[in-house]
This record gives sequence, C-alpha cells and structure tokens, in this order.
Amino acid sequence: MSLLEVENLSVRFGDTAAVAGVSFALERGERFGIIGESGSGKTLTALAITGLLPEGAVVDGAITLDGTALPQDERAIAKLRGKRIGMVFQEPMSALNPLMRVGEQIDEAIVLNSLAQATLNVNTLLTEVGLEPVHGQRFPHQLSGGQRQRVMIAMALAGQPDILIADEPTSALDLVTQRKVLDLIAQICERRHMALLFISHDLKAVAALCTRVAVMHKGRLVETGPTTQVFGKPQQSYTQKLVAASQFVARRPDRPSLGDTLLEVDGVTREYRQGGLFRRAKALRAVDKISFSLASGECLALVGPSGCGKTTLAKIIVGLDKSTSGTVRLGGTAYRGTDMPKALRRDLSLVFQDPFGSFDPRLTIAASLAEPLRLEGGLERLMVRERLVEAITAVGLDAAMLDRYPHEFSGGQRQRLAIARALVTRPKLVVLDEPVSALDVSVRGEVLALLTGLQAEFGLSYLIISHDLDMVRAMADRVMVMEAGKIVETGTPEQIFAEPKHRLTQESVAARLPEIG
Amino acid sequence: MRRILNHPSLAIGLTATALFALIGLLSLVWTPYPIEQIVISRRFLGPSPEHWLGTDNLGRDMASLLMAGTYTSFLVAALAVAIGAGIGVPLGLAAAAWGGAVEWLVLRLSDFVFAFPAIVVAILITALFGPGAINAVVAIGVFNIPVFARVARGGALSVATLDFVAAGRLAGLGNLAIAFRHLLPNIMSLLIVQGTIQLSLGILSEAGLSYVGYGTQPPETSLGLMLRDAQGVFLIHPWLTLVPGLCIVCIVIALNIAGDGLRDAIDPRLRQGQTNVVA
Repeated sequence: MSLLEVENLSVRFGDTAAVAGVSFALERGERFGIIGESGSGKTLTALAITGLLPEGAVVDGAITLDGTALPQDERAIAKLRGKRIGMVFQEPMSALNPLMRVGEQIDEAIVLNSLAQATLNVNTLLTEVGLEPVHGQRFPHQLSGGQRQRVMIAMALAGQPDILIADEPTSALDLVTQRKVLDLIAQICERRHMALLFISHDLKAVAALCTRVAVMHKGRLVETGPTTQVFGKPQQSYTQKLVAASQFVARRPDRPSLGDTLLEVDGVTREYRQGGLFRRAKALRAVDKISFSLASGECLALVGPSGCGKTTLAKIIVGLDKSTSGTVRLGGTAYRGTDMPKALRRDLSLVFQDPFGSFDPRLTIAASLAEPLRLEGGLERLMVRERLVEAITAVGLDAAMLDRYPHEFSGGQRQRLAIARALVTRPKLVVLDEPVSALDVSVRGEVLALLTGLQAEFGLSYLIISHDLDMVRAMADRVMVMEAGKIVETGTPEQIFAEPKHRLTQESVAARLPEIG
Repeated sequence: MRRILNHPSLAIGLTATALFALIGLLSLVWTPYPIEQIVISRRFLGPSPEHWLGTDNLGRDMASLLMAGTYTSFLVAALAVAIGAGIGVPLGLAAAAWGGAVEWLVLRLSDFVFAFPAIVVAILITALFGPGAINAVVAIGVFNIPVFARVARGGALSVATLDFVAAGRLAGLGNLAIAFRHLLPNIMSLLIVQGTIQLSLGILSEAGLSYVGYGTQPPETSLGLMLRDAQGVFLIHPWLTLVPGLCIVCIVIALNIAGDGLRDAIDPRLRQGQTNVVA
C-alpha cells in the first residue's frame, strides 16, 4: 500500500476545471516531482492534498493517506497537517511571522504537533537544517532568503511528518543558495526516510532531486515515470517540447565580426543617501566606479546575485536614473543618465523583466508600441502604422493584434510585444533586463531564438542583465560578473565556465544544476 | 453591464441614487405647486390627494419642496465634488509625477486644509461672503480638494512604479504626459469611488450648513433648510421634520451603497470566481 494515493482528483472553480483526473501514488521515502508551467494546476494539487484550497474550489476524487481517506472536517485535517504532512512554501518571507523570533515560531510548531514521545527541541531542528542556535534568536528580516527557507523546512519538520510537500521552495532564491537548499532537502529526506512531493517549473531542480516525476499540463497529468526515463526519452509531445526548451541552444557561430565601440561606461558610481535628517549615515554605493565598453554587434552579459547593482547600472545607461559621478558615452555623446539628450534616446531601448507590468492596461498595443516613435518626430500617421506593422511582424506576431489590449495576450506574447516596442525606433543598443526569467520554460527558448535572430537581422547590440548562467552561456559573447557594485571578473563564456577565477564566479558555476536527460 | 448586475448592492445603490437625482431634476420643469406659493389658510395639512406629503407652516406643498430641496442638495454636492476633483486630482498627480518640492508643497497644503474642522471654515467662509448656495458650494468644495489630492497621489504612486511608466519615460514622455496618459486613466476607478463617497458627504454638509442658516436661503429651498423650518414645530407636527430627514438619510445610504458596490465591482482583488489568482 502506498503512503499517499491520489485518485482521479479534480478541482473546479465554477465552470473551469483547474485540475482534472489527476492520479498518482507516493511511496514511503520516495522523492516525487510534479513539473508544470504556471497555471498548470500543480500548486492546486498540493493544496488539495493538504486541504488548504481557496474558497470556491470544488474538489472531486479520492485522496488516501495510509489507506484512510482524508477527513473532511477542518479540525481533523488541521491535525493531520504538520503531523503527517509538512509543507514548505515558495516565498519564505511572507510565510513567516515578521514580529516573532524564528526560534519561537519553530517552537510553536513543535508544541502544536507534540507527540507523547517527542524529544524535539528548537536547537536540534536548527542544527538539522544547517543553522546555528543563535539564528533562532533572530527575526525573519534579519535572515537571508536561504536561511529563511531553512527555517521553514525546520518548521515543517517539527511534526515529524511522513510527507514533505515543497512548492517551488527555491524559485525566490539565487543560484548558489538554491543548490544548497535542494541538497539540504535531499539529505533530510534521506536521513528521515521521509517522502517528498516536490513541485516546480524548473526541470533541472526536479531532475536533481527526484527519482520519479509527473508532468502536468492544463490541469492533467501528461506523463509519469522515473526521472531518467521521462527526461531521457520523453514519450508525449508536450514533455518533449518542455525538455527541449530547457536546454538552451547555443547561438550560431556565423556571427558578423564586432564593429566599433558603441557604448562606453566610464567610472559610473551611484550612491543612495541613507539615514535621517541630522545624522547622515554613510551613503550606500549601489554601483561603484564601473567602467566597460561594448562594441556594436556585441552581446554582453552582466551577471550577479540579486542586489548587486546590475539593474541600477542598466537604469543609468538607458537614462532612467542618474549617476552620482562618472559618465556614459553612446556613439560619442556623453551623458550621466536622466540628462540624456532626446536625440540619443531613440538609439537605445530597454526590455523589461516582467511582461505583465510593462504595458499600460488601458492602452491598445498600437498606442503602447507607438509611444517611442514620438522621439522621431514628424512621422505621418500612415508611416507610424507602417513602422508598427514592421515591428510586430519582426517579432513573429500578427499585425491584427495591434488593436487589442494587453490582457488578451499570454506572457510569452507580451514579451514579444515588449521586444517589438524596443525595436520600433530602430535602436542600436537594446538593454535586456532578465528578458526570460518571468516566462514559462517552454517559451523561453522561442524568445531567446527570436532575440538572436533579430540581432543578426538588424545588427543590434545587446546588454543582457541576468542571473541565469545557462541563458548567458547560450547568448553572450562576453560576460561580466558583478558583486556588490563592482565588476569582479570579465571574459568569454567559455573562459568563465571553464576556469572561473573570482570566488563568486566559482561558487555560481559550481552551483549550476546538472543537465537533464 | 453584467458586472453591475453581479453586484446587487451596486445595482440597488445606483438605481436609488438615480431615482433621487431624477426627482430632483424633475423639479426644474414641474412641481405639483410652485414652491414659493404661500397659502396660510392651507397650512399644516396632512397627506391628501391634493398635497401628497401635506403642507408646511406656511402652507407650501411639501412634495414640491422636497423635490426642489433634493435638487439643491444634489447640485451643491455635485459642484463641490467637481471643484474638489478638478483641483485636487491635478495636484495629486503633480505630486506623484514630479515628486520632491512639488510633492512636499501639495502634502503640506492638504495637511493645512485638513487641520481645520470642515464645518467651522465653511461657516467662516459663508459668514465672510454672506450665506447662499454658491458659498456653500465653495466651502464644501475646498474641503474636497485635499481628499482628492491624497487619493490621486496614493493611487498614482503605486501605478508609477510599474514598468509601463518607465517605458513611457524611455519614450521621452515628460511628467505631464506621463500623468495624463498613464497615471490618470489607471486611477480613474479609485477617483470614481471616492467621488461617490464625497457626494454623500457633500449632501450631508449642505444640509448641515443650511440647517445652521449659512447655506441655501429662502425662497430657494434645500433639505437642510426644510429641517430648520420644521424644527420649531417638531413636537406638534413631527411629520414636517421626518420627511426631509428621511429623505437625506435615504440619499446618503443610496450613495454609500453605490460607492461600496462600485469599489467591489472595480477592484479585481475583490472580484469573485477568479481562478488565475490562486493557480
């Protein structure tokens, strides 16, 4: 008999079925992964198992734990959660109480789930998840993202559950921490002989952690099987597409040679004033005397952990922020940021990270795309329409879509439209701020291929800002690694990956998850 | 339209408000009797087929007075909202779009206005410039300005952090263009809800000002003025007080229900049956 059996589970909201006919079984000590894109119903499946579904959801089907059906009663199921099933959420900051020391929160979890023979205490749990007793005295905001996730795991372990459900536990963490947390989960499951239900959109994380996987698509299980088999020889077309999309295809070697220097960044520094009115604290240097240059036709990547100042630097380059000192030169004209001459603005554009916030919901796509064209001035209405059609067809979309509104498009389509808006003024340099990290795995590849194609077609230069080393490896001619406002290493992707020199680069390269399949 | 029907409170509130507004507007072209017609011999009549709501202490037809009074109340409150929104919203948008000194000035200005009890300054204004509906409009309108300025600034600040505003700046739009092209349309729903609430507060303020004698002056009438006229005979003829009083209560409740309903209908977070929120 399996530990957890889910049979023909379906979750409905009104007339729409979010999960339909999902069946799987979880053995004791097994590590099982569910993969799916956003909206595929993977999180709802997990919530159905824990009885935490939002109001308005209608559940159908059978969920049995050790042969007994899950109770319908809220009190009974609340007892079950914690004691039998532990859960780790995606965003540890919002799952922890900001006003309680984390030690007390773990202690609370222990008390609520206390068994007669339990000999647990906070310190042993903290040690088990790789923290020190002193961390228990801190508040959530005093811990790093990875430490908070460890605290969440400790709380989930407090009831000594048989099953640990982890819902995207690492997607809010940077690469190095992600690897550490994944290794920790694997260790703990091994040691306690605890079953793991791991939910993620990241194929590599699932492949590294799970022995068996299920692929979910539009509320249905598409394929289930051992990890090596599903990823190595995918049977269904959707799985094949997913596996193919997760491996970035390296760019074509027949690239035109690089031209003259297009962009020059010279000693740019950005400081933020801190502190109160009277006692001025030392200014925070987000960007610290950065200098580099970018040739026309080049694709330069800027990588670094979150908070290292890479987005601030990008904002200065495109003229949304102003440097405290130092200048940027684009095609020979110098500026410091927001004082960028208007004539220069059309030569450079930015593609935003979040495709959902980058279009005004009240304007048609045509109106949004035409916005940058006012930089050119003197364009006739017919000409404007022509340019819009040119841009939207260049990104592989239909000209009829111009009259629609942003909410009618999917994330991938919106990112294409954002690229179209960036291209409409025929710029020389496009700054891409995490261009694919908000997109589903299956469309990432398409968008990157589109970017590569457009670069060849229009002779564009790219400055890519990212923390995704695999994407950078596939796209970039040159990589700069940034930490705490400084560039610590520069080189071609081959050099950086083969023999990283700086400590941060070494750690990041080592933390990459193995290729799947 | 379907969204409105999905919210029964919104439908009820809007219908009731529209009904009162229509009754008020009707008084412009037709009332059962002219409101300034004083016939002492017919005073203090109860409701009858000739006088639906009876007559007051001067023999005026209560139904006619109520219609005209409702019109005055709506007009004063609506003009006051128009003044408040017309000046307050641009101020709030300017504060959000320019920031810095402009924002400081707008906020301190609204603090300054907020610091005085509204009714006291309204009395001050009408005492200085003489009582009358126009001065009541100005007095109530001035107090709507900081309310709208704050709502507009708060809404605009949260919109201004979104990427499409940055995209607009990249496209060379100035602060003015950003404010009117991107910020204003996206905070419109907030402003409409606030407008409904201010409208009901305006009707209350107008009634209050007329009651103390600084608002509408006879021979014009308003609901507050009717209350004032009837208070001397309240113990003998309570009906004369009840009619305008209940009318004020009903209008304010209708507007508040409509405002709450509008907020529910417009705010996507409060909308029911959204699957993509949890998925």
